[in-house]
Amino acid sequence: MTLQPGQRAALRRGALAAAPLLVGMMPFGVVVGLAMVSAGLTQAQAVAMSILVFAGSAQLAVLPLFIAGAPLWVMCATGLVVNLRYVIYSAVLAPYFDQLSRPWRALLSYITVDGIFALYVGRHQPADGDPHKHWYYLGGSLVMWVGWQLASWIGIFAGALIPKSWSLEFASTLGLIALLLPLLFDRAVVWGALAAGGVVLAAARLPLNLGLLAAIVAGVLVGLAVARFGAARS
Amino acid sequence: METTGWALIGGMAVIAFVARAIFILPGGAFSLPPTAERVLRYAPAAALMAIIVPSLALSQGAIALSFENVRLVAGLFAFGIALATRSILLTIVGGMLALTLARWLLG
Repeated sequence: MTLQPGQRAALRRGALAAAPLLVGMMPFGVVVGLAMVSAGLTQAQAVAMSILVFAGSAQLAVLPLFIAGAPLWVMCATGLVVNLRYVIYSAVLAPYFDQLSRPWRALLSYITVDGIFALYVGRHQPADGDPHKHWYYLGGSLVMWVGWQLASWIGIFAGALIPKSWSLEFASTLGLIALLLPLLFDRAVVWGALAAGGVVLAAARLPLNLGLLAAIVAGVLVGLAVARFGAARS
Repeated sequence: METTGWALIGGMAVIAFVARAIFILPGGAFSLPPTAERVLRYAPAAALMAIIVPSLALSQGAIALSFENVRLVAGLFAFGIALATRSILLTIVGGMLALTLARWLLG
């Protein structure tokens, strides 16, 4: 495929803009790689997961459930909830990409990650007249994709060398703690998360999975209630 | 466990793609109602907390809220590091060191 100069320039601009994001993303990729194999996935499965799913926080979130032997539908429901931010991104990005062909839209959907979404939306408008802006998005996303796969594979193959006695599966819980904190951006989210933590403990005697889903529902309801109460008061 | 692993990967692959493609693939302009956007924001934090809490505070299915529970101690320490540094790497390294140290101290 030959690219026009404008397309190639946009691809390169996107790739260069993404490069600094690798510093933060690659250690996380290594951790997710390690976590997948220490949870009991085979190396082939872990490589397949990192290519096919390509969603680090959701991958990390389902691993403790996989270790605990949760049913498949509960793991998938949890993965969906953790991926809900992508639904917001999808709504924001749709008008940017609606002139593109269906394969292009499918490719850009698959390859969407947080950092490039933020860069792109900050830099471009849906109707800003730049015909090559999707090349910018692709360039940045490709850098992130390659960086993620390399980091993840390092974790997967290093994980096999680390002895079980190190309790490396605890690293996935620690990774989730680090992912949770930036989400706690206002009072309503904090109260919602605390309610979810309380409900999941209170429901510890129920089969694990019912407690988890009840906790998520309770967290959302408490978050909505706190937001409404706070808005009414101020 | 190997079959469950493949089923999980397949299910998660579909979910991850559909979540990202749901508005992009049909095309056109959409705007989410504010309540829907709130729910989409609160649910992930609630889910992560609901996964973290049992793996710290439960021991063999029973609630273990004491300083003898090394995972709880290490997890709380990791919360502190995450709050102070906002770094995934430091949180994980610090939390693993805290777990090792707590095990050694409480033997």
